[in-house]
Amino acid sequence: MGSDIRFGWTGAIGSVILGATRSEGGTRKISYRVGGGTTLPFLDHAPASSPLVALEICDEPQYWPQIVRNYCGDLVDDVSAWATTAETVYGADLIRLYLTSTRQRNFSDIPLVGKAVEEVLSATGLPLIIEGSNEPGIDSEVFQKCGEAGEGERLLLGTAEAGRYRSIAAAALAYNHSIIAQSPIDINLAKQLNILLREIGIQQDHIMIDPYTGTLGYGFEYSYSAMERIRFSALKGDADLAMPMICSAIDSLTIKEVREADTAYQDEMAVAWEFYAGLAAAVAGAEIICVRHPKTVGRLKKAFTSLKTGSDPTGRI
Amino acid sequence: MALKALDIYKLLPKKNCKECGDPTCLTFAMKLAGGKADVDLCPHLDEQAKAVLGASTRPPIRLVKIGIGERSFAIGEEFVLYRHEKTFYHPPGIFFKVSDTQTMEEVSAVTKRVRDESFIRVGSDLRCNGIALENSSGTKEMFAAAVATVEKAADLPLVLISEKTESLFAALVHCGTYRPLLHAATKENFKEMCALAKHHDCPLVIKARGLEQLAQLAKECALEGVQDLVMDSSPQSLGEFITASTAIRQLAITRAMPDLGYPVFLDATGSDIQDAAIALGIVKYASVIVTAPLSEASAKAALTLRQNIYTDPQKPIQMNPGLYRVGTPGKDAPVLMTVNFSLTFFTLQGYLESTRIPCFMLVVDTEGLSVLTSVAAGKLNETLVRDALIRFGVENEVAHKKLIIPGYAAPLSGRIEEMTGWKVLVGPRDAAEIGEYLEQEWKK
Amino acid sequence: MHTVTFLPGYRKIEVPRETTVLDAAQRAGLNINVVCGGQGKCGKCVVYVQSGKTEFDQQKNLKFFTQEELAQGACLACQATVQGDLQIIIPDSTLIQEQKILIEGLDTGIELHPSVRKYYVELLPPTLSDPSPDLSRLLWGIQKNGGPVAEKMYAPLEALREIPTLLRHSDWKVTGTIALVPGGYRLVDLQENDTSKRLYGAAVDLGSTTVVVYLWDLVAGKMVAVASNYNKQISCGEDILARVNFAKKNGLSKLQALAADSINAALTTAANSAGIDREDIYEVVVAGNTVMTHMLLGIDPGYMIAEPYVPVVRRALSVASGRIGIACNRNGGLFLFPAVSDFIGGDIIADILACGMAEKEEISLLIDIGTNFEVVMGNREWMFSCAGAAGPALEGGEVLFGMRANPGAIDKITIDPATLDPAYSTINGIKPRGLTGSGLIDLLAELLMNCVIDRNGRINTGFNHPRIRTGVHFPEYVVVRAEETDIGKDIVLTENDIKNLIMSKASVHAACVTLMKEAGISRQQITTIYFAGAFGNYLNKMNAATIGLIPEIPISQIKNIGNGAVTGANIALINRRKRKTLDEIATKIAYIELNAEPAFMDEYTSSAFLPHTDLSLFPEVQKMLDTCRLHRG
Repeated sequence: MGSDIRFGWTGAIGSVILGATRSEGGTRKISYRVGGGTTLPFLDHAPASSPLVALEICDEPQYWPQIVRNYCGDLVDDVSAWATTAETVYGADLIRLYLTSTRQRNFSDIPLVGKAVEEVLSATGLPLIIEGSNEPGIDSEVFQKCGEAGEGERLLLGTAEAGRYRSIAAAALAYNHSIIAQSPIDINLAKQLNILLREIGIQQDHIMIDPYTGTLGYGFEYSYSAMERIRFSALKGDADLAMPMICSAIDSLTIKEVREADTAYQDEMAVAWEFYAGLAAAVAGAEIICVRHPKTVGRLKKAFTSLKTGSDPTGRI
Repeated sequence: MALKALDIYKLLPKKNCKECGDPTCLTFAMKLAGGKADVDLCPHLDEQAKAVLGASTRPPIRLVKIGIGERSFAIGEEFVLYRHEKTFYHPPGIFFKVSDTQTMEEVSAVTKRVRDESFIRVGSDLRCNGIALENSSGTKEMFAAAVATVEKAADLPLVLISEKTESLFAALVHCGTYRPLLHAATKENFKEMCALAKHHDCPLVIKARGLEQLAQLAKECALEGVQDLVMDSSPQSLGEFITASTAIRQLAITRAMPDLGYPVFLDATGSDIQDAAIALGIVKYASVIVTAPLSEASAKAALTLRQNIYTDPQKPIQMNPGLYRVGTPGKDAPVLMTVNFSLTFFTLQGYLESTRIPCFMLVVDTEGLSVLTSVAAGKLNETLVRDALIRFGVENEVAHKKLIIPGYAAPLSGRIEEMTGWKVLVGPRDAAEIGEYLEQEWKK
Repeated sequence: MHTVTFLPGYRKIEVPRETTVLDAAQRAGLNINVVCGGQGKCGKCVVYVQSGKTEFDQQKNLKFFTQEELAQGACLACQATVQGDLQIIIPDSTLIQEQKILIEGLDTGIELHPSVRKYYVELLPPTLSDPSPDLSRLLWGIQKNGGPVAEKMYAPLEALREIPTLLRHSDWKVTGTIALVPGGYRLVDLQENDTSKRLYGAAVDLGSTTVVVYLWDLVAGKMVAVASNYNKQISCGEDILARVNFAKKNGLSKLQALAADSINAALTTAANSAGIDREDIYEVVVAGNTVMTHMLLGIDPGYMIAEPYVPVVRRALSVASGRIGIACNRNGGLFLFPAVSDFIGGDIIADILACGMAEKEEISLLIDIGTNFEVVMGNREWMFSCAGAAGPALEGGEVLFGMRANPGAIDKITIDPATLDPAYSTINGIKPRGLTGSGLIDLLAELLMNCVIDRNGRINTGFNHPRIRTGVHFPEYVVVRAEETDIGKDIVLTENDIKNLIMSKASVHAACVTLMKEAGISRQQITTIYFAGAFGNYLNKMNAATIGLIPEIPISQIKNIGNGAVTGANIALINRRKRKTLDEIATKIAYIELNAEPAFMDEYTSSAFLPHTDLSLFPEVQKMLDTCRLHRG
């Protein structure tokens, strides 16, 4: 009797290409093929790529967690420098730029959005994830602007939801970017959104699923299972769920446990909270883990390296 | 794999004799399929059917108890590979490791930490579980002395780590009746280890590299009369651990290799990134996790992850409906309506606390559904809000009639105003924005 | 006593002071719409006091009326009490209008084996050499003429008292009526001369809205008349819950009497149209839901509507018709269908009998949709059932321009792919007043196929078309422009309506799938889907599949059994042997409580998409949608 694990998978996770190097028509130093897994995470006998770690930054820091502002100091006021540091010092694989400036009341300075994207693109050679507005009224223009500013760079644009996906999809289609499809912690809703996107012409290899990540202790278990179920269904052959996943437990740095931790080890608490959720999410199937505390980046990357090594090709130990 | 009600029904006598307490064989079959009845309740089953049904309902992973008394706990008896298929039942024990080469003070201090430290979340008291004592000295005297120190400090479940049987023998003089977990039996020493474990009725870790080797060792230990086993595949990396523990779980629950049907042991201290090992162990089937004493941050994150993963996914955690206070709200404090899905409640509560604006939270009974879902399902409606306002006497608490509702409940605002006579203010969709909202909308 | 005159029909009634206007109207035979059961909560029973004095609580009225309306004399009929002679105007909208009622049933080729038979006998008078008693003489005669063995027959005391005179008066030529009752063969009637051809029975569907009666000639085995009537209990509350609450407050007797009256009214109409005497109706078979059955028998249904939902009785029952006031032969019998649970009642057992699913090897799925729905799946060996609330959307409720199957309701609709203009038909062919369930399903399917809505039911406002508007609260599609309607405003379907419809259809589909999963059955294993009830009859089956109301199986395998309750009752009436199986069927069915089923919520979310999140469950619909959506581009 053999001790290999046989799951009998019939499907595989599709891949999404993020970033474009000069030879690929962009200006990035590197591009990634995200996804492509053929079994449960970290069980591949021939390892595919490790999960990637993205550092989240923003163009208007008043909406950003105090802990990051304290830790990074003046850096947060200069989005270009922040992006450069994320790459060179913190060691992020990707940058996720939140256009928080659009959250300001009656925001209408659309060109500013384009400028922020361009600045970050020139400050870093890493592929970029852009998080657009939260305001249906300006969605269309903001996404259009982002798409245009990043033309050729194969950005990942966020975030499409079941109730608002048309404008972001239009921008992605026009400029060949990929999009994040976010649904509220439910495999069916995730699948429904993917179908809606497919029906308006978004290719499967341009979608990343964001099943919405509840913070550790605040619904993380629901997200964990939603991710496991999505990965499981994809491997069982459900093409409408066979997209790689992105995870961002964005409330990690503002929840009570972190906020009220003793200042002496508040950073440590923040990192622990992001790290535990990020690692578990990767095990459940997330391919891009987004974090906000710079110190979490390196720790997650180190852990993923250890997870990716040591599996004997026979599946035995 | 789990049998469907109809498959079970086909094996039943179909007499509808009601002797099992159910009106028909079909309803009995439904209960059996759901694990809500015992096969033995049917007096008319033939042996063959009993064998089939019995095998499908017996747990594929053995239940093993560690320790005695208040802090003792059980591991194993799991049924599924993914928690969404049913649930995970027995959370892993987390043991702080100390060595018999450390000073008595150090050993005692760590023991007292595990004894005393607790962390309350969502109404549960979260704690690490016990002490893992390693026989680094290699001498039985020091090991025994260290055990005595631990025992003096607290009645905690123990893992005794030594490959020397004489060391364990000496230690068991002090704690042999308290069901410590012995680590570890190997191919070389299993006979003596089994004798020890059997004599003291202790659970035993078996250690080998390779699943076949583990299964073989488990079989041999069982032959020696020790069945309360825990398996250590001694992984050299996190990758090795996840591969082995997934394989063990999968092969055990499908009964492809019944000899692997025991809980799994993980020594996280072996990893250079201990937090990663702990997190991995929690989500991927470890039942005993040994770690160096954790920082407060790591302990809280690990315990929270463990709580999350071992929550029954089919039960939404609910709050009691009522009027909750944040700070000491006065007569003009805002009243925020929310649902009794605990996740929503605690998230909102967290943000409200940080606003430093005292306020009331009116929690209505949406049967544990979130705002979005309960609005969609019609559970959250104007009648529910009105009844809650009345039942919890909100009018006596505040001198205004303004109610802030969640952004996702905006479609209900008109109907709530009509039915309650309260002025409804629509708050943000995202709880994180509640501070800003109150600053701008409430204070003005 | 005061005289109340109801306008515009000038119906008059004498009532004591303090009677409510509602009560007076009901006594005058007017069917007033009372959803809340007369608690002053629903605001439906609007009437206008033309002249005379009434008393009512001004505060309660303020909620429902403007000052202007109050000045015109508006009040709620259930709250206003008579304080003198009155003239009351009842607006049309307050009266319950006649609906398109379903009286067809599935034709059954059932053998005639009624439980009651008549035997004409010509007896030899007694002599000194043949002095056997009258009763023996009669029973032997019946036996000789093909009746049951004399020893197995008995005559109740009332009959014995009549026998001597009747036999001699008729010159020993009599017709005896023998019924098979739980105690044996009972002589229920004895008539002079040959009346053996005059033997009738009635099958009754006792619905909460409608009562349908089929009258059968039990000698010829022929149906002779059909009649239907509103369930008069509607005046005590539109839905079952309201009526149970009414019973709690005011006692059960009124509801019991109204239920019997409703049956009697239909029975009388049927008897009149067939030209027969009600006294010749010897048996009445009733199929009704569990609460209706309890109410008809005068049994308290109150414990059924709250946890743990326990009915008093669920087995089949036989009672004397006279004891509950059914106007047939004074010694007639009443047979009531058994139930499975509070939610799966005798009407569903009758459906099962009607479609024959309990006799088949193949697996069938039976669906009965109203505001609540019931689903039964299984074959002759096993059956699972469940019930749930579909929400009123499929019946036209909770939809802005939704309505019941009343005149003017759009019941069929198609959309021209080129112009996006609809073509429709209405009930009675009058100008449209709204949309009924089948029309709504058509519309949803058509909008989907023409890409006006996405699979989530969201209207694509990007469409530049005058029929697609952003609306006041929600985006909407204009079905009929104001000038073409009977109501003078645009009939629209809003995104919110669509959401309600999707939620309703998702409940039904999720219930089907939950049963299928419980049994481990795939949709390919389902041989037939039966639709019972009015809903199925107007339904476009293809469109029902297109929106994912039911699991996809070949359209030819979807059947309407129409009013299965009355069909089942017919079968049980004309063939008593079928009755024996009923209790067995009822016991065999396992009931699944959907709320206790964690998988149900998951199935529900999955079903809340058009047609479904798992498109592989709807391969044909998917193909069709792909084609027509491709066409649209």
